[in-house]
Amino acid sequence: MSQSPTPLPLNEQERADLVAYLDGELTGEAAREIEAKINLDPRIRAEAESLKRAWELLDFLPKPPEPAADFTERTLERLQALQRPATHQVLGRWLLALGLWGLLLVASGVAGYQGFRWLSPREPGEKELLRDLRLIENKRYYDRIESFEFLQQLDHPDLFGDETNP
Amino acid sequence: MSATGETSTQMALRDPDIRLMLQVREDHAGAFEQLVARYQHRLVSVMNHLIGNAEEAEDLAQEVFLRVYKARKKYRPRSKFSTWLFTIANNLALNHIRSRQRKPLVPLRTTRDSGPLGARPAEQLVHDPGTGPVQRIQKDELAQRIRDALDSLNERQRMAVVLNKFEDMGYAEIAEVMELSTKAVKSLLSRARMNLRAALEGYIHMDGAPTAASSHHHDDLDEVELADEEDRP
Repeated sequence: MSQSPTPLPLNEQERADLVAYLDGELTGEAAREIEAKINLDPRIRAEAESLKRAWELLDFLPKPPEPAADFTERTLERLQALQRPATHQVLGRWLLALGLWGLLLVASGVAGYQGFRWLSPREPGEKELLRDLRLIENKRYYDRIESFEFLQQLDHPDLFGDETNP
Repeated sequence: MSATGETSTQMALRDPDIRLMLQVREDHAGAFEQLVARYQHRLVSVMNHLIGNAEEAEDLAQEVFLRVYKARKKYRPRSKFSTWLFTIANNLALNHIRSRQRKPLVPLRTTRDSGPLGARPAEQLVHDPGTGPVQRIQKDELAQRIRDALDSLNERQRMAVVLNKFEDMGYAEIAEVMELSTKAVKSLLSRARMNLRAALEGYIHMDGAPTAASSHHHDDLDEVELADEEDRP
C-alpha cells in the first residue's frame, strides 16, 4: 500500500510568495515571514530548494545563436521594401490630384468658351433672314418714317380711301 | 508625463535609448540603424528562447524593429525604451506562437528515464562536465530536456520566464511588458516554476533522492495549468 504524500503547508498564494522570495521580489516583513517558514519547516525548505534548482537548470540551456552578421542590413532592406510602396502611393496620389486639376481646368475652359459664345452678338442665321425678308427689303422706306404712330396714321382708311385696297 | 511624473525630456536624459528613439522619431539619419544594432542581440536571444528556431527568431526580431519604425511618430517616452520594445516583441511573439498552434510536447515524465544512460541527477551532469562523448551526450540530453520543459509552458508563462530569467526583468517591468498586473505576473511565474520543476523532476534530485516537494509535482502540474487559464485577462 502506498503512503499518501504529506500535503505541503502552503496554499497557492504562499507558494507564489515563496517563488517571489526566491526571485528577490519580497522585502521587509514579507521576506522575513517566508524566511521564518523556510527555517522552521523542512518541507518548505525542500520545496524552496527544488524550485530554486529547477530555475537554475535553465542556465544550462545552450546560448541562443547570435543574430547573423547582416541582420541590421537585412532589417534596413526590409524597411526600404516597405517604404517603396508608400512612395508609389504618394506619387499615385500626386498624379491623381494633377489629373483632377487638369480635368477641372479643361471643364472650366469649355464652360467659359460656351458662355462667351452665348453672351457675344452673332450674325443672324438663314431662317431669321427669311423671316425678316420683307422688312429688310423695305428697310429704306422704314428708315424714312419717323415714328411708328405716323405709320399707323398712314394706314387709316379715311386718309387714302379705297385706293389703298386693290 | 510618465506615471512617475517625469517629463519625456527628463526620461530621455536618463535613458540614452529614449534619446535614440526620439531621434528615430525625428527621422535622424542613422538613428534607426543604431537602434537595431544596439538591440538586435537581446531581441533575437529572447525570440530564440521563446520560439526555439533561429530563423523564425530573426524574422520576428526584424518584424519588431519594423513595427518600432512604423510606430515612431506616435512614440511618447513613458517608461524605459526597452520596456516599450519588449511590449511590441511580446505581442508579436505571442501572436506568432498562437498562430502556429503549437501543441505541447510529449510529457517529460513518460520519457525521463529514456536515453542511453537513463535519468541522472543534475549534480552528475552539471557539476562534472567532462569533455568526452558520454558527457557530451549527457549535456546535450539535459539541454534538450530543459528546452522541452520550457516549450511545455504555455506562451505567457514562457514569456514571463524568459523575461525574468534571461532579461533580468523584475515583476513590475514584466507586468508592464505583458500588460498584466504585478500580482498576475507573480502568479504566472510561480506556476511556471512549478511546471518547470515538474517537467525537470528527474534532474533536480539531490544525491539521487527525490525532494519532499517532488512527490506533489504531478498533481501540481494539472492544478496550475487550470489555474493559469483563470488568470487570463
